[in-house]
Amino acid sequence: MMRAAGALAAALACAALAARADDVDLIPQAVRQAAPAAPAARERAAKLNLEDALTVWSLREPAVPVPGGTSLDARNRTSVDLRGRWRLGERLEMSVSDRASAIEENDFAFLSSRAWRNDWREGYFTWEPAPRAWLEAGRINLRNGVALGFNPTDFFKTRTLVDQSSQDPSALRENRLGTFMLRGQRIWDGGSASLAWAPRLYSPTPLEIGLPAAGLRAGLDRTNGAARLLVSTSFELADLAPQLLLYRENGATRLGLNLSRTVGKSVVLYGEWAGGRYPKLITRALAYGRETGTLPPAAPPVLPTEAGDAFQNDLALGLSWTGTAKLTVNAEYLYHQAGMTREDWRRWFSTGSAKASSLPVTGALWYIRAFAADQQEPATREQLFLRAAWSDAFVPHLDLSGFALVNLYDRSRLVQLGATYDFSDRWRLGAYLGANLGRADSERGSLPQAHSAVLQALYYF
Amino acid sequence: MRFATRFFVLSLVLISCGAQAAPTAQEIVAASDKVRNPGQPFRLTSTLQEYVGGQPRDRVVLTVYAKEDAATRQFKNLVRYVDPPRDRGKMVLLDGTRMWFYDPASKVSIRISAQQRLMGQASNGDVMTVNLARDYRATLSGEETLKDADRNERACWRLELAAATDDAVYSRIEYWVERSSYRPVKGKYYSDSGRLLKIAYFRAFRDELGAARPTESIIIDAVDPNQVTTINSSGYRFETIPEAWFQREFLPRLKAE
Repeated sequence: MMRAAGALAAALACAALAARADDVDLIPQAVRQAAPAAPAARERAAKLNLEDALTVWSLREPAVPVPGGTSLDARNRTSVDLRGRWRLGERLEMSVSDRASAIEENDFAFLSSRAWRNDWREGYFTWEPAPRAWLEAGRINLRNGVALGFNPTDFFKTRTLVDQSSQDPSALRENRLGTFMLRGQRIWDGGSASLAWAPRLYSPTPLEIGLPAAGLRAGLDRTNGAARLLVSTSFELADLAPQLLLYRENGATRLGLNLSRTVGKSVVLYGEWAGGRYPKLITRALAYGRETGTLPPAAPPVLPTEAGDAFQNDLALGLSWTGTAKLTVNAEYLYHQAGMTREDWRRWFSTGSAKASSLPVTGALWYIRAFAADQQEPATREQLFLRAAWSDAFVPHLDLSGFALVNLYDRSRLVQLGATYDFSDRWRLGAYLGANLGRADSERGSLPQAHSAVLQALYYF
Repeated sequence: MRFATRFFVLSLVLISCGAQAAPTAQEIVAASDKVRNPGQPFRLTSTLQEYVGGQPRDRVVLTVYAKEDAATRQFKNLVRYVDPPRDRGKMVLLDGTRMWFYDPASKVSIRISAQQRLMGQASNGDVMTVNLARDYRATLSGEETLKDADRNERACWRLELAAATDDAVYSRIEYWVERSSYRPVKGKYYSDSGRLLKIAYFRAFRDELGAARPTESIIIDAVDPNQVTTINSSGYRFETIPEAWFQREFLPRLKAE
């Protein structure tokens, strides 16, 4: 109906256009008489916003019981979000990114100690000792990767998740913890190289099942539980914008590659690969649980899997297409070789739903999935990611978006539809509807959260 | 003999004058490009004011850095969002087919297509500096007297511009250039399907960086003429812009002013 009305309005407008004797008559008087724009004020160093996000979930009884059950079905988060970059001297800058939140949930008392959380995302100094050469020290959110649904080369993504309004993977990246590191970067004509070293400051700490616990902790135990090194270089080659990466963690090396290229006026093709020798997800998860004391040290593996290191490939291949109506569609194939196969999932459900399954067994099964979420790596080996975003849909300032993350083994999927509307330069209202769809014995259909709805209001200062 | 010599010289003068009076279509567009664009790297502030039904609505402020590639004569552009607050710090790199969008919130640069240049509240295709003579093949379709944005009559060349490179933002442009000054007066911009997308008027010519340049463009949405956007250019300044700036890795490094 709205489309028809829009088409009619456009047709009438075009008819009016054709009927005019002179295009200059289309210029409104207010435009012709407007005073010249005043010179713009200096750009402010900080970006500050206030957000309130109310989320409600509908819960269901999962096929494999969740130890302790799940009772959280409503949360309200009120946050003050600050990102800033300040110049301290001719060649010295300081950057800060932080979000402080007050949280209300149905499963704890209002204004209890769990009601406050601070997410210190970034805080670092940048020194430019020579033109186009930088040295940085502090907590830095270092990101790599050209895909949207899964970034194999985003090596510093592990254990950085904080509370989000949207479940869109591209939104998850906007709110995550940085890693304490030293970083150097040099840029020259047509290329760049960087080196980042993150020291181990803490021993690995237990997973915080679900969302990270509230509190004012810096969370460096999550981001700096291992010594890590990343070397990367990018350059121009056949319009492919390649980026090569070498990553080392706990003595193991991974290599990475990013490529992208435009095709015609509307299409961008992109690919992202990473590979290295390390254990399967199931093996790593159970080992981490035992190491951090969440799982009994002598617990036998709940699922059979390859115990040792093997070369694992991660791949994201995608394309984006943009139409004339401001609609952009992304489609990506995601491959995570260390993730669970069709057979792994069958065993996960058969083990978990067996009558003889004990609490430690189901606990270990769910721990594998919680570990994957905490690492921000797919639990499943093969997935499809589809996303559509429509700017100025139907009316100006209304943006619609939707995505689906599909498990290619059981066809279960995480889907979300979203809408944001900018009432003014400062006010934005957002709404998101999400669902975990699929059979009870599928990856998404087995989650206790069946549906979610989010209402979000943002004010930008 | 003397008569023959005089006749020959006179003929040369007349031919020469004739050549000056009738430049080729491509030369007209190139001369008009020089009116719009300084010859050295520069930066300016673009203020985009949107009007709906004659009433001012949204405003976007951008800082634009532009540098002409000496070999290709193509302009490279870096665009930084200054206002509104929600978009502050976002950046776009436009360099031929290499186009990247950087969002400081996600700290990642995403490659965008030419079509995405035309998206967003501020169409990057409208604010980016371009040499039309490089991207379009021009033909002269006539001369006519035209009313400019201030309703003053201007004696113009009327030109047809057809996209000649992949970098061309529009498929076809009708372009009016004042004959006495080579100032651009008006343009009509068409999509691949032949649909009229925008009508632009250039006005408020002021001395900036060594020449009288149009400091305001009025862009009328041809699909919905109730939507009009003005682009005011200010803060012109020659700027040393290293070549290294025009790559995605530099986008997080571009400092606010």
